Amino acid sequence: MVMRNIRHIRRAWMRLGLTWTWMSLFGSNLAFAAEGNTNIVPGIGLLRGIGIASALGGIIVLILVHFVYRKRLSRGTYHWLLLLGLFVLPITATLSSMATVMEGTKRVEACASCHVMDPFVNDLKNPASPTLAARHYKNKWIAKDQCYGCHISYGATGTIAGKRDGFRHWLYYVTGTYSDPIKFVGSYSNSNCLYCHEGTRIWERIKSHNALRADLEQDLVACIRCHGPPHPLPQERTGSAMK
Amino acid sequence: MADKDEKSEGLTRRDALRVLGVSAGIAMIAPLSGCGGVWERQPVIPVDAWHKGVCRFCGTGCGMMIGVTDNKVVDVKGDEYAHNRGRLCIKGLMNREILYGEGRALYPMIRKNGKLERATWDEAMDLVATRFREAIDEYGPDSVAFYGSGQLYTQESYTANKLFKAGIGTNNMDGNPRLCMASAVTGYTSSFGKDEPAGCYEDMDYSDCFFITGSNTLECHPILWERMLDRKRSHPETRIIVVDPRRTFTAMHADLHLPIYPGTDVALYNSMMNEFIENGFIDRDMVENYLSFQEGKQKRTFEDLKKHVAQYPAERAAKICGISPRDIQEAAFTFASSKATLSIWTMGLNQQVQGTASNRGVVAMHLLTGHFGRPGATPFSLTGQPNACGGVRDTGSLSHALPGGRLVANATHREEMEDLWKVPRGRIGPKPGYHAVALFEAIAKGDVKCCLVMCTNPGQTLPNSNLYRKGMEKGFMVVADSFHPTETTIFADVVLPAAMWVEKEGVKGNAERRYHLYPKVVDPPGEARSDLDILVDFAERIGHGDLITAKTPKDVWDEWRHISAHSKYNFEGITYERLQKERGILWPCPTEDHPGTKRRYIPGEDPMAHGGGRFDFYGKPDGRATVWLDSHEEPVDPYTDEFPLIFNTGRILEHWHTMTITGPVPELQSIHPDYLEIHPHDAHHFNIREGDQVIVRSRRGEVELRAKLSLVVRPGMVFATMHSAKHLVNQVTHDVYDPFSKQPAYKRCAVSVRKKTV
Repeated sequence: MVMRNIRHIRRAWMRLGLTWTWMSLFGSNLAFAAEGNTNIVPGIGLLRGIGIASALGGIIVLILVHFVYRKRLSRGTYHWLLLLGLFVLPITATLSSMATVMEGTKRVEACASCHVMDPFVNDLKNPASPTLAARHYKNKWIAKDQCYGCHISYGATGTIAGKRDGFRHWLYYVTGTYSDPIKFVGSYSNSNCLYCHEGTRIWERIKSHNALRADLEQDLVACIRCHGPPHPLPQERTGSAMK
Repeated sequence: MADKDEKSEGLTRRDALRVLGVSAGIAMIAPLSGCGGVWERQPVIPVDAWHKGVCRFCGTGCGMMIGVTDNKVVDVKGDEYAHNRGRLCIKGLMNREILYGEGRALYPMIRKNGKLERATWDEAMDLVATRFREAIDEYGPDSVAFYGSGQLYTQESYTANKLFKAGIGTNNMDGNPRLCMASAVTGYTSSFGKDEPAGCYEDMDYSDCFFITGSNTLECHPILWERMLDRKRSHPETRIIVVDPRRTFTAMHADLHLPIYPGTDVALYNSMMNEFIENGFIDRDMVENYLSFQEGKQKRTFEDLKKHVAQYPAERAAKICGISPRDIQEAAFTFASSKATLSIWTMGLNQQVQGTASNRGVVAMHLLTGHFGRPGATPFSLTGQPNACGGVRDTGSLSHALPGGRLVANATHREEMEDLWKVPRGRIGPKPGYHAVALFEAIAKGDVKCCLVMCTNPGQTLPNSNLYRKGMEKGFMVVADSFHPTETTIFADVVLPAAMWVEKEGVKGNAERRYHLYPKVVDPPGEARSDLDILVDFAERIGHGDLITAKTPKDVWDEWRHISAHSKYNFEGITYERLQKERGILWPCPTEDHPGTKRRYIPGEDPMAHGGGRFDFYGKPDGRATVWLDSHEEPVDPYTDEFPLIFNTGRILEHWHTMTITGPVPELQSIHPDYLEIHPHDAHHFNIREGDQVIVRSRRGEVELRAKLSLVVRPGMVFATMHSAKHLVNQVTHDVYDPFSKQPAYKRCAVSVRKKTV
């Protein structure tokens, strides 16, 4: 088809638009279905949908514009569509998927999706468990995204080291090269505890806390050394996936 | 585009992109700089090697991993596989600092012309041996003595015991557990015929009711308290009853707090037993088949007990104790009706004139209601020191005792030990030696000329200390300690520097009968040596090198464990190899494949128990545990207008004992324990304000402290800690002791408080 006049161009746009709309809807539903989770945190699903739609849409736009309709488009239209396909939609897709990953991975379900985490999530949700995780969950001391509440280096506003850790965990996990039982490497940062607890009347009146304040702030002594264990110990983990 | 490429002066677009890209990359990974840090988090304190060990401090005996770098302890963390599940308290954490505090004793010292001067080990040990030998030759073996500690290793206490009782031939061999656990020992031995708790820490995971009496568990056994709290967290219906004159941190967590007056426990427990009987909570099977009853030297029956406790109805007991009758009834009902009740106690009961009676009162409550021998149901006396159990109680390192529960006064027991130790019959003296207070009295009088003191600080910890400190100036005191000066080394004629904690190897036994190994992971500083080395050296120089043939920790351990097989404290199966591998083992453990015993006196569970019955109380000739009929006694040291207030003493979480070890720790410098807790009513009455310097005076002495107005104490009662060397509260305390155990009553005496006039 050769676009000889404005009517043809407009028709081309309509087709493009409709194609994109259908693909987006289809893609989004695929995404939701694939996750199998209809309990959507408001926002995450939308972000995810936008990301998927942009990605797919971008690819389709580029393919169509460059290989199918190129000759029928004016130079200006062609360049605008390339701008859309090479910059705008990829950026949208990147931002959306980054946000989806950063926000989505804050959810307990995201951590639970790796079966090596089963004992930890089982314990978290066990009202009879006295671990720190279980108590903070049971008593709603952390309202949502409970794993993230203490492991905050993973979020968008967390540390680069957190991203590196996430990558390393994923790498060891998918290659099956992690050592079981898993152990926390290095020193756990007390800021995770102190940003809620320090400064409260209860915390401040404890002589030991005041004596150790400098040590705590420099992570020379970990809060969990006295108040732990935060999670079931290796010999206590049940419901674990065997390697 | 098709232009000629002009050489621009700055960067080309390509170069610019390259530079930007590389910079961005570096900016991304720069925070990860440092080789290890690129891939993984690094610990804040790098450690070369972790060693399995145990905490230096309290009787809980927490397992810990000790991190060593460059022959120095740099970090400690809880051992996840030990009973404490990776937890430590602040004193446990500070184990990493204690070896490096100021004031470590580095070389031997001899007093010349009134001053302590540095000497060599040969000079010092020669002098010690000579003076002891002279005294023994001229005045007899009972002119010398040993005063040891519940913080020495088992091998050390055992060796000292053997040397003094079977070598030198004197029973003047006592230790600081006399000031701490002696009443718990007599409480258990009079009830069961054998010492030591029947249950274990695991019982706390199954209890429905914790009866905590005379114990500020949160501050003094914090990790055990956490374990009890864990039980309550998992099972919120678990009840906690706290009996304590003060509203301690522990009491603040109680469902029911009974703030009784110090020294009124016997009345309370008799009243509770009365409630059990009146409300039908008596376990008839226990009474008929497993219990006997006794009052003083007289045999009694259950009917006699009924009449006896009927003299303590709730109203009367409540008046004596200073609480309400309703509280007694509620406590009794909760105690008896819970599915499994576990009692916890320490110094509140032990450090009383009626310490033995209080101890066996709690035991009686458990026996009568059948809260015994099941998971979660047991009377559990908590030990204060890390090795009072394994080192002193089980080895019989007290002036009336011999190893394995034997008694000096019993001829058969003496003969057994003489045979086991391969010494001639008659070597061990038939009369018990001086107990702690009597020993220092004898030193003051001059009856005991030479005394070897190891790992303890009687100059600060003896009650009515002024009397005994003067005495120490008189005797020839040889003091082995890791720190100098202390309130005892200042009186020493010879100071011997001792290695501490993981600078020496040995075994200790904690409150739940767990024998566990302390490894040697670093070298002691200066010329310090282990207490075992010092004792072996002393034995050789004093002519008993052929008796003390075991000279290393492992050899002594093997000798002792084979001897233990000839008693009901049999732990022959706990070999050194097993100790190195395991996180301790609970005795009795008769064979190497035996896993250890959680609950004693149960046939099938306790290898020392026989028969098919519910229990076998093998410590008693008739196989029955004894319930004692004891009566409440009015306080010695009466309250008068001149001395109207009750003086109570105790401890805080952050410091240990006399602060010789925890005092120098940098993190603990801000914790000052030399205050006097006084209720605002009393402060108002005596015109005292917060922060005032006050003088606390008793019939024996006085001490200056800083007033701290507090609602923790009751009106009419004041409280101070024993920790500070600058303000010796023991100048005020009373050296009256329990007639059975000889343990002094630190928990109550009569004082006056007045503001210090400037």
